[in-house]
Amino acid sequence: MRVVGLSVLVALSLALSGCASGAAPGASPAGPAQGSGTAAGGLAGEVPVGAVWSLTGAAAVYGTVQKNAADLAANEINRAGFLGSAKLKLITEDDRSTREGGIAAFEKLLNRDRVVAILGPTLSNTARAADPMAQDKGVVVLGVSNTADGIVEMGDFVFRDSLPESDVQPNTIRKTKDKLGYRRVAVLYGDDDAFTKAGYDVFSKALADAGVEVVATETFKKGDTDFSAQLTKIRGLNPDAIVLSALVEEAAGIMTQARQLGIPPSVPFIGGNGFNSPKLAQLAGSAAEGAISGAAWFISDDTPGNADFVKAYRDQYGADPDQFAAQAYTGVYLLATAMKNANSSDPRAIRDALAQLKDVPTVLGSFSFDASRNPVHPPVVQIVQDGKFTLFK
Amino acid sequence: MEQLPQQLVNGIWQGAALALFALGFALVFGLLDVVNLAHGATYMWGAFFGLVCVTRLGWPFWAALPGAMVGAGLLAVLLERLAFKPLRTLTTGSLILWGGFLLLLLGLVGFHGGEFQAALVGLGAVLMLLGLVQDYRAARPLLQRSMPYLAPMIASIGASTILISLARGQFGAQVSRFPPDLFPTTPYPLGQAVVIAPIQLLVLAVALVLMIGLHLLIARTRTGRAIRAIAWSERTARLLGINADLVIAQTFFVSGALAGAAGALLGLAFNRIEPTMGTQIELAGLVVIVVGGMSSIGGTVVAAFLVGLLRVLGVAYVDSSFRDALVFALLILVLLARPQGLFGRASSTRA
Repeated sequence: MRVVGLSVLVALSLALSGCASGAAPGASPAGPAQGSGTAAGGLAGEVPVGAVWSLTGAAAVYGTVQKNAADLAANEINRAGFLGSAKLKLITEDDRSTREGGIAAFEKLLNRDRVVAILGPTLSNTARAADPMAQDKGVVVLGVSNTADGIVEMGDFVFRDSLPESDVQPNTIRKTKDKLGYRRVAVLYGDDDAFTKAGYDVFSKALADAGVEVVATETFKKGDTDFSAQLTKIRGLNPDAIVLSALVEEAAGIMTQARQLGIPPSVPFIGGNGFNSPKLAQLAGSAAEGAISGAAWFISDDTPGNADFVKAYRDQYGADPDQFAAQAYTGVYLLATAMKNANSSDPRAIRDALAQLKDVPTVLGSFSFDASRNPVHPPVVQIVQDGKFTLFK
Repeated sequence: MEQLPQQLVNGIWQGAALALFALGFALVFGLLDVVNLAHGATYMWGAFFGLVCVTRLGWPFWAALPGAMVGAGLLAVLLERLAFKPLRTLTTGSLILWGGFLLLLLGLVGFHGGEFQAALVGLGAVLMLLGLVQDYRAARPLLQRSMPYLAPMIASIGASTILISLARGQFGAQVSRFPPDLFPTTPYPLGQAVVIAPIQLLVLAVALVLMIGLHLLIARTRTGRAIRAIAWSERTARLLGINADLVIAQTFFVSGALAGAAGALLGLAFNRIEPTMGTQIELAGLVVIVVGGMSSIGGTVVAAFLVGLLRVLGVAYVDSSFRDALVFALLILVLLARPQGLFGRASSTRA
């Protein structure tokens, strides 16, 4: 009886511990919305713009830098009088790296704060759940880190300035295949996350197009800590390289454990957007050496305003910005540019102006939106050397 | 098939770490019939104690490991006094302890400015200390009752949430790690195509030593005899003159220390320390103690190795999606075929 009763308790505790792991949402003060809802009658007062980041939970690594960079851009815009007398008012919400948190944040921003546009959310998973709310309401949502498929397809108010994996990865494979001379690779990816799964789909197509043989395909789950079983299988097949579609925390664990299992450093890891954080080398240490990733942005690239951005970010936050910071920073400028071009804070006018942006000089390079509201700008390939990303040549 | 030896090694060292964690679970359940769901949070704090010893105090890892164990052990004792004991026997001391604890929390989470906050924390800590002493000295409790079955478990869930939030406030929600190159990473070859990393060897060795130590403690010492007596019947043990409160505190210390060791070791081995790291291992630990027979030490160890191997082999030969499914299938199978667990005795003759 006791044991049977206990098994019920176990089941109950599973359910409860699931609920208990969420963080308290970070509330931000919300003043009365000014300047919103006014018809195309010029730009004045405070323009409320929402920003939904994952400030806690699994994607906090990305969300935190996005918030920093977006705040930096908004301050610069307001200080420089970029919008004339009008000021951007960034209202930041935490989605706790969950869909539910994202929906709650959008709900608040759209209905209570009546924002004219929303930046974010951090994760593609969350975007798929929450973006339709902005679409229904006719408010622009500009993703600055959503790279999975099926984002902009949700509607004509959904934009992104983050290059989709399908633009970055084929470029990475093309550029590295001949230089590194790999012919047989193993693939490892997280199959329960829209972002890493989409990365895998793109990689397998790019690898097939480049004529590279895939000797093994292994999967893991978000939040896993042990990857030894998958890596042991991969080790037995002696691949020339390991293609890895993972977020930085899992990627760091995988790299460390691969070297612990005796997979030699001559077998490099090749990955996508998830690698693009200084955290990778911090978390994985020497195991990250030689890791290669495609990226939308590189810290010492000579794109317009990049040096100033990097310096301002360092001065303010005491750390190097990463690609996610650059994209969030660009996102705020793109919105502001659209508002300026439209000379309006009407959501519809902002949407139309945003869709027409062409060859805007940004830290990501010369930036345009294509007809399906996807970004167009040149990608880069980078490699970890001595604990730092450098350009792959 | 040729990968099997390596997969067995992977499963065995993880099973050893899981055993360390689950033994603390089993110990507390055997003693008080309480499922302590704050055990995972204690494990997480153990990892952070180890991290603090290394990064802020500059200790080498061999000193940080005992540091983590002592820290987590003391935390578990505090937890027992805060969340479990007042449910059995409420004393004025427990009330003072709770008052101090609330002040401490207010001081830790509030935004009142430096000095006021520090004063709150200090006052809270002093009150808690007073409460602990008073609680220990109290001869006549305000309230004494037999513990309802669910209350302590719910209390432990609350404690777990508080501990996780405190860790998040203190260390951030992001993943932390021990400094790189704290431990050599070059693997030792064990045979053809079989290697083990030094840290994994350390996990295995420490786990075995602690398991043997725990066995000796329970089977050979006076404290062990008292623990067994209380497990059999707390009332009878008290009548026989055993200081039950002291023994319970000691048991919680040992339980917490084991969790702390597991936390620091796995935090280093997996290179990943974060406030929510306890949830995953807690589920595995629950399965282990049910499969192993709730309070049987040998059973827990065997079940831990079984679950560790099953988790690795499930990923290796089936798919990563089935890892937890296989473990819970084992749980259901055992509950159907042997509800008392693989090594448990029927409850009337238990302990």
